[in-house]
Amino acid sequence: MHTLMGCFCLKKLGHKPGYEAPINLASETPFTVNEVEALYDLFKKLSSSIIDDGLIHKEEFQLALFKNSNKQNLFADRIFDLFDIKHNGVIEFGEFVRSLSVFHPNAPEADKIAFLFRLYDLRQTSCIEAEELKEMVTALLCENNMSLSEDVVDLIVEKTMMEADTKRDGKIDDEEWKEFVKKNPSIIKIMTLSDLKELTLAFPSFVMNSGVSDLQQPVKN
Amino acid sequence: MRKKTRTVGKYEVGRTIGQGTFAKVKFARNSVSGESVALKVLPKATILKHRMVDQIKREISIMKIVRHPNIVRLHEVLASRTKIYIILEFISGGELFDKIVHCGRLPENECRRYFQQLIDAVAHCHSKGVYHRDLKPENLLLDSYGDLKVSDFGLSALLQQGVGLLHTTCGTPNYVAPEVLSNQGYDGAAADIWSCGVILFFIMAGYLPFYEIDIPTLYKKFNVQISAGQFSSPFWFSPEANSLIKKILDPNPKTRIQIEGIKKHPWFKKNYLPVKPSEEEVNLDDVRAVFDDIEDQYVSEQSVAKEGGPLMMNAFEMITLSQGLNLSSLFDRQQDYVKRQTRFVSRKPPRDIISSVEAVAESMGLKVHTRNYKTRLERISANKVGEFAVVLEVFEVAPSLFMADVRKASGDTLEYHKQFYKNFCTKLENIIWKPTEDVANPSVLRSLTC
Repeated sequence: MHTLMGCFCLKKLGHKPGYEAPINLASETPFTVNEVEALYDLFKKLSSSIIDDGLIHKEEFQLALFKNSNKQNLFADRIFDLFDIKHNGVIEFGEFVRSLSVFHPNAPEADKIAFLFRLYDLRQTSCIEAEELKEMVTALLCENNMSLSEDVVDLIVEKTMMEADTKRDGKIDDEEWKEFVKKNPSIIKIMTLSDLKELTLAFPSFVMNSGVSDLQQPVKN
Repeated sequence: MRKKTRTVGKYEVGRTIGQGTFAKVKFARNSVSGESVALKVLPKATILKHRMVDQIKREISIMKIVRHPNIVRLHEVLASRTKIYIILEFISGGELFDKIVHCGRLPENECRRYFQQLIDAVAHCHSKGVYHRDLKPENLLLDSYGDLKVSDFGLSALLQQGVGLLHTTCGTPNYVAPEVLSNQGYDGAAADIWSCGVILFFIMAGYLPFYEIDIPTLYKKFNVQISAGQFSSPFWFSPEANSLIKKILDPNPKTRIQIEGIKKHPWFKKNYLPVKPSEEEVNLDDVRAVFDDIEDQYVSEQSVAKEGGPLMMNAFEMITLSQGLNLSSLFDRQQDYVKRQTRFVSRKPPRDIISSVEAVAESMGLKVHTRNYKTRLERISANKVGEFAVVLEVFEVAPSLFMADVRKASGDTLEYHKQFYKNFCTKLENIIWKPTEDVANPSVLRSLTC
């Protein structure tokens, strides 16, 4: 009987598979229920840009970032992989909200630092190797149509490794990364999205569909 | 019996302070920050019944755009199953209208200050393409410092419609420009300026320049007197104030003075202090904010700059410039996607890069302002069309290798990309470095991102 009711509700509200109730997501993240509802509006837009199946596919993600669904980009790929917590090739609503919560201005800085470390650890070896850094610098230069000779790229990488790799083993481990970020805080600026502060104003459509019971919104700060 | 404190989200709801047709306004307190707010409660059923859903959404977006120290701020929007809550800045000083009604006309200097603040707020909205269309002293509130706050920018139409269509069409005709009353298409900017003129007259005189109780008489008056520019100022108006008011209450919207003209008028200019945009507004479209933001990012946090040279940029800082890491584009509702930032590499000494940039910018008729290795280029025009600002900064990425980061700080993105950037780079050809003999291994590049 319960399952039947569940199905009925899903159908009635028109939620696609992969949907999670805002109230649950709000309890795990810095977002309020209303903010999760507002994020659902954004998610719906992103997940229906190519195939309206309630899931963000890689092409849809690229379309949102570059306005071009075929634009391959190393960093966008990495972000997509980290958002795709279940590793099934798509981003579900719950994954979207949980991942974005790291970018919330109130999210712990340690989470932001750790997320970025995982992002730059291309081969998931729990270290950022000099080789990986080189790959990323080259990708960035290429993205901006700036071609530099390989020895110049090596020089740029070497200089940063000198500063970050304090143990001098050719790779940056978790501990060295934290130290490096502490000295260069501008690196984690990209981990904070001011857009997440005013979600309810940016996506006001939720006001008509909110499921929050009257005057019982939990307090968040 | 103990009274229960009701809460909406993080707000503790207090007494009702206002009641409109669609909304009830309550006093509330943010339990986290302790800040007082005004909580507007709109029942969803009413909104649905009057088919105002799209309007509400539009109004919220407008309020979000027009942030200004002299405009009542929209903090947040909340909703439950049956209600919509709009959380606004709480303004404690009451309406300017009541002040005039209770204390009579105000001294000219005080009027000037209110008028300057009003014009600042209105100019800000007009620059964002937003017109109030219902400016009147009842919509002008005073805060505890005696500063003016325009209220209902955006929400006015929504809440006013309550008194039915009757109210919107007849509205407050005493403040409405003649071209609006005559029901022809009108220019929102000129119409708002007219209303500002009537407000100025009203606070200086203590009565309205055009006042009739019934609409037909008012119309007649418009036809006869106002169209001819006939109204009489009281003897206490200074000649300069009079000259400004005459220019504003010009029945012909085409010849009526504009914001720029008002700002240049000697009466307005006296003791004028343009408001500083509040520093928390870090908005890409705000020239100053972006300038400051870039400064934050690279200057204050990076004290490792070499003495006298440009700032160093390490490999990870370079990486963060990737468009693939800029998730704020997910939130971009406008479809005007064109990269806001562009970069080029140079092997010339940084001083030469900056001086070449300055020379090229000046040849393109741009205003240039340089500090250290950062240059702001601006195109300013009288009518705001095609106006934009660009910030360029030079960083050292490797010994004698520099990267210039060029970002649009304000203005139309397409305009920037089409007209400015391409042209700009062509003219800078001699300093932009393109490796010829020692090209990076192309296969490395291709395999990664291209």
